[in-house]
Amino acid sequence: MAMKVDMSALETNFSIPCLDDGDGMHLSADSPDVPSMVLPTCADFDGFQAATKDMVKNKRGTTTLAFIFDKGVIVAADSRASMGGYISSQTVRKIIEINPYMLGTMAGGAADCQFWHRNLGNKCRLHELSNKRRISIAGASKLLANILYSYRGMGLSIGTMIAGFDEKGPGLYYVDSEGARLVGNRFSVGSGSLYAYGILDEGYRFNMSVEEAAELARRAIYGATFRDAASGGCVSVYHVGPDGWKKLSGDDVGELHYHYYPVQKTPVEQEMTDAPSTSA
Amino acid sequence: MVGKNCFAIASDRRLGVQLQTIATDFQRVFKIHDKLYIGLSGLATDAQTLYQRLVFRHKLYQLREERDMKPETFASLVSAILYERRFGPYFCQPVIAGLGENDEPFICTMDCIGAKELAKDFVVSGTSSESLYGACESMYKPNMEPEELFETVSQALMASVDRDCLAGWGGHVFIVTPTEVQERVVKGRMD
Repeated sequence: MAMKVDMSALETNFSIPCLDDGDGMHLSADSPDVPSMVLPTCADFDGFQAATKDMVKNKRGTTTLAFIFDKGVIVAADSRASMGGYISSQTVRKIIEINPYMLGTMAGGAADCQFWHRNLGNKCRLHELSNKRRISIAGASKLLANILYSYRGMGLSIGTMIAGFDEKGPGLYYVDSEGARLVGNRFSVGSGSLYAYGILDEGYRFNMSVEEAAELARRAIYGATFRDAASGGCVSVYHVGPDGWKKLSGDDVGELHYHYYPVQKTPVEQEMTDAPSTSA
Repeated sequence: MVGKNCFAIASDRRLGVQLQTIATDFQRVFKIHDKLYIGLSGLATDAQTLYQRLVFRHKLYQLREERDMKPETFASLVSAILYERRFGPYFCQPVIAGLGENDEPFICTMDCIGAKELAKDFVVSGTSSESLYGACESMYKPNMEPEELFETVSQALMASVDRDCLAGWGGHVFIVTPTEVQERVVKGRMD
C-alpha cells in the first residue's frame, strides 16, 4: 500500500480578513500555524500602514551576503542596527539559525525577520515530523515567500536569504517582503550590498577552499562597513556544508581595518630635542 | 572643551553623502590664528566657504588693527556673517575656541543662523551632538591639564561617534596652550 504523503504542513492557510464583534477587523486563521493578527480599523488603511512604516524607521541599514561554491554555502553579515542616524546596537545577530542545516539572514525590520524566521523554523520542523524527511531549501524558501506574499503591502520589511544544504546539494534563495523569490549563486542584501558586490564579484571563484571563501566574505562585508554608514559592528561568517552549518568567525570590524591596513609609522621630519643646558 | 589655561577642539574625519562615505580625512577644524580655532559641522561646501570668508575678514582686521582678533570679537563676527544669510542660511554649526586676554580659554557654539551660545566647560555640534553632550557631561572635570584634556576629549568624541552612523572614521584633536599647539589624529572604528 502506498504511503500517502502528508502535505498539510506545506499548506499555508492564508489568514482572511473578517469582522469581529469586539475588536473590529482582524485576520482570522483556521490553522494554528498561521498567526491570527488584529488589523486596525481606520478609513485609510494603506495611508496608516505607510505612516507606521515611516514611524518604525525600517531602513535596510545592513549588509548581508551569501554565495555557493564547491564546498557548500558561505553566509556572512554585519551586526549593526540603526534607527535613522542613531546606532541602536552593534551586536545584532543577523544570521538566524533556522535548523542545523539551514540559515536565514536578516535585513530590513529586525522584528519582522526574527518572527518570520522562527515561524519558518516551526513549519520546517512540522514538515520533518510528518514526512520523516527534511524539507528542501526550495520548499522552505517557498513557504516563506508565500507567507510574505500574503502580507504584501502591509508594511513588512524583510530582505532575507535562505541558505542551506539538502539532498540536491547547496541551495541559496533570496526572499523578500514584496513576494520575490529568486534562486541564485551569489546574493548580497542591504544598504551596503553594492559595496559588498564589488569585492565579492571580483574575488569569486567556484573552486575555493573554505578558508579562502570565508576570507572573501569577510573582506566584502568589511568593505561594505567601511563605505556604508549604516553597516558596521562585527562580521560573522558561517559555512554550510553537507553536515550542517558551522560558525567560522566573528571579527570586530574596527580591529579588522587595522589588520588589513596597519598604521604606517610616518617618517619623522623634524624632531624636537631638549636644548642643551648652558652653564652660567 | 576648556582645560586649565588651554582648550581642546576636535572633530571626526568623515565626509559622506547620506549613507555613502566619500573620504575619511576631511578637515573640519580650521586655524584662524595661533590662539583661535573654528570647527564647522554640517554641509561640507558651506564649511569650506565659510572658513575662507572668515579667514579673509580676519586678514583685513589684522591689516587694519595690526593685531589678532580676540575670540569674543571673532564670535560676534561669525554670528553677524551667519545672520546676514538669515533667509538662505549656511548649513553649518560652528564651534569656536580660543585663548583670549591673559590666555583665558573662550569657547562658544552657534546654530546655523548665528545664535551664540557661550559655555564655561564644553560645546558640541554635529549629527552626534546629543551623544556628545552626554559623553562630555559625564567625562568633563574642571581645570584639566593638556594631557588629561586630550584623553578626555578623545574618549568623549570616539564614544559618541560610535553611536552615530554618519560620523566617525577617525578623530582629529587639537590641544592649544599659550605656548604650543598639539595636533593629533586619533585611531577610531572605521565603520
